[in-house]
Amino acid sequence: MLTKNLLRYKIQNGRILPQFVNPADSQLLAIAEQLIAVFEAAPNKPRATLLETSKQIIDSTPGVPIVKRGLEKLLLDRTEFDTAPNEELIAFRQKLFTETSRLLSRETFPNYADYQLFVQAQFDEAELGTKLYADLPSCQPVLAFKTLSAERLLHRYNAAQVQGLLLHCNTLTLKLADSMTAELRQLFKYLRFHQLLCTIQRSGRHGDAPLQKQEKQNENLYRITVDGPLNLFYKTKRYGMNLANFFVALLHQPKWELTAELQFRNSQPYRLCLDESCGIKPISQQFLAYIPEDIQLFQAMLRNKTEAWDIRPGSQFLPLAGDFYCFPDYTLVHESGVSTAIELFHPWHQGHLIARLNTLAEQTCVPLILGVSKELEKKPFIAEALAASAYFSQFGFTFRDVPTMGSLLPILNSLVNQ
Amino acid sequence: MAPLKINFDKGTLILQNVPKPLQAQLADTHWDERTLTFRAPAYRYRQIISQLRAHDIPYQDTARQFTLEPFTLQKTTRPYSYQTEAIDAWHANGKRGVVSLPTGAGKTLIAILLIAEMQRPTLVHVPTIDLMHQWYTVLTEHFGQAVGLYGGGYHELETLTVTTYQSAVMHAPYYGNRFGLAIFDECHHLPGEQYQYAALSSIAPFRLGLTATPERVDGKETRLYALLGECCYEARVHELSGKTLSEYRVVTIAVEMEDTERVQYEEARRVYLTFLKQAKINMGTPRGWHTFLWKASQTEEGRAAFKAYLTQKQLSFASTTKREWVWKLIQRHCGDRILIFTQDNDTAYQLGTRFFLPVLTHQTKLKERNAFLNGFRDGTYSILVTSKVLNEGVDVPEANVAIIVSGSGSVREHVQRLGRILRKREGKQAVLYELISKQTGEHFVNKRRRQHHAYQSSRHTPCAVKPK
Repeated sequence: MLTKNLLRYKIQNGRILPQFVNPADSQLLAIAEQLIAVFEAAPNKPRATLLETSKQIIDSTPGVPIVKRGLEKLLLDRTEFDTAPNEELIAFRQKLFTETSRLLSRETFPNYADYQLFVQAQFDEAELGTKLYADLPSCQPVLAFKTLSAERLLHRYNAAQVQGLLLHCNTLTLKLADSMTAELRQLFKYLRFHQLLCTIQRSGRHGDAPLQKQEKQNENLYRITVDGPLNLFYKTKRYGMNLANFFVALLHQPKWELTAELQFRNSQPYRLCLDESCGIKPISQQFLAYIPEDIQLFQAMLRNKTEAWDIRPGSQFLPLAGDFYCFPDYTLVHESGVSTAIELFHPWHQGHLIARLNTLAEQTCVPLILGVSKELEKKPFIAEALAASAYFSQFGFTFRDVPTMGSLLPILNSLVNQ
Repeated sequence: MAPLKINFDKGTLILQNVPKPLQAQLADTHWDERTLTFRAPAYRYRQIISQLRAHDIPYQDTARQFTLEPFTLQKTTRPYSYQTEAIDAWHANGKRGVVSLPTGAGKTLIAILLIAEMQRPTLVHVPTIDLMHQWYTVLTEHFGQAVGLYGGGYHELETLTVTTYQSAVMHAPYYGNRFGLAIFDECHHLPGEQYQYAALSSIAPFRLGLTATPERVDGKETRLYALLGECCYEARVHELSGKTLSEYRVVTIAVEMEDTERVQYEEARRVYLTFLKQAKINMGTPRGWHTFLWKASQTEEGRAAFKAYLTQKQLSFASTTKREWVWKLIQRHCGDRILIFTQDNDTAYQLGTRFFLPVLTHQTKLKERNAFLNGFRDGTYSILVTSKVLNEGVDVPEANVAIIVSGSGSVREHVQRLGRILRKREGKQAVLYELISKQTGEHFVNKRRRQHHAYQSSRHTPCAVKPK
């Protein structure tokens, strides 16, 4: 991520305009390649040497220095240095300082040169010059560097520009259009992972902030406000880091708009507005086609018990009462055509579970089964909420690490019988 | 009707089944559309529970995940009368509040006695890793039981735990309901933009803030008092000097630069000031520094001005004459325990390399950091050079001489540095030397920080002699 001093933006009429680079700019690509080459050749060299060489490139090539320093910062973030304590130097210092302290606390010297000579007579002069603090960060050798292409580095730079700004933001508003359910689901997984909360509005539905007329016509348009629990009380930048990390997930959506209010220390608030036309390519992996290990295990267990049901990664998007939405983890389809979804709640999902139980309190026919971790159930508050939920008693089960068929099959069978 | 339920969720409280008449009355409690529950910041826990009790409303409290803990003191230490007064004042203030005492006056002992009295799981917040380890040692000695550490690579929660502010901000949303007593050492840090969430996300009903300097230049001490309770006890350095603190004097040494350095300094300062004038930047305003950084990065001239700014600063911080004075003072205090403070790490390592002395900065690894501090305490090392890591809290009672080679304009920093040498020992006479480069910005900075009462009441000896 880029620090504030490396951000490049303009302010116009209260709007903040990040100054993106053109990822196809041949001059900049050439500079990025040079910098990457320096970092690729860095293993075993000390940090100071690496920085000196990259500084030479920054100083000697055309272009805006702050951009090149930004690229250097992103490359440094991908570099691992040897930070382990150097026992040999620590032992050397201990011996030297014990002796110099003894000298300085017992006798006075006519002048500094005499003291210096006295110490140098007892310790190797060359060692004193080169070894004394030779394990400071500037001397730490490079262990490894995770390389990337020049074009990808420039895309990362543009994404980092936005992330660096979002660190100073308290709330994000997103508009998503044409997203597939699986893409939305991925987005909401990121949201949960980063401990954020959201309010979702879908086109054509009522809400506190009604959608524009043309927005209402788009059935697949969502307006999502993303923030954290404390945003209910304070205009806080507490979740800036969470929001900045979450931004990476947004880049996987086909059509998006982002609006954020930013506030730097002691300054007035500014508005950041971006959409997919900014051209930043996704910088993280998208796992839509990947079948996680737990699903494979779940699939195997289900097949062992019954052939009537097929399990797939969640791809159905369930609208719930009160403008709430659910992105289940799995979809189960029976050979008769009956299908249902399962949403799993792990120990870190207690807030979401309570919200889900509240949402489903009056529901009886939502095709959704709730699986709750036993760890979560241990909390008295959760145990009580589960015991009090009529919905959970009919469509819910608990599990340890992975859901088991023993607890799930009776619910599935009851759905077929209905 | 189902009973009202209170639960802890990510540094907040979730309330369910809140009776309608009470909904608008509970402290800071709002309806949360995102989760369809009422929600309140965690630090309002005590107030909300008190309100429920006052209204005689039954409730189920699953937020609080702590009970009474039988902490037993393994060591008996008799508190000074002012320490007892501070403890009484804290109790009288509703078992919350800030105690302000000079460094060396025994704030830690007050905390220990209160932990023993309160018998609640306690989380101690500290600003630095060094202080975290120091508290760990003190708590282990006094209570003889497992003490947890959270921060600096440690993730161990015990009923007595020490954490850094930074770590608490990140993790309080997970464990903020497990402690009944929250102690904030050097609590003047707490109102910081991020650090305040360490207190906001905790339900701890009993809170103690400890500091030598509660006042902040940004005036945010009011936020501190809102989160921890009012300042319930205060004693100043001159009130305790000579009684529970050592006698001390402050010697300011105005240092002449060498001619070549003076020429370099004047030239760099001219370039810097000319740029400020041309770019119409007023460094006296709150945005002055940010404007300078921004404008300096825009042009070649600006970058030269920024370089010049650093050059003149570096020359005034670490001139050749200052190094000569350091040597002279080391010789003058042969046999004393000396702390040498600098503004930056580079100067600290320059001095360490020149005089072959141990240097303690944030870059020093934990094992060697402990070795340096223990060596200084037991006399193996008589001199320690440091930049800022020893400014606060770290207990080095043996130190009796401090040499400030360079520092920021912060009054707090200088009062804290003075505090390092004030711990009372038999016959100890503490001396703080400030080396100020003559006719530089340092002169004005020094003048500003001297307005603090710690300076005004000390024996102050100005000195403008060139070292031989």
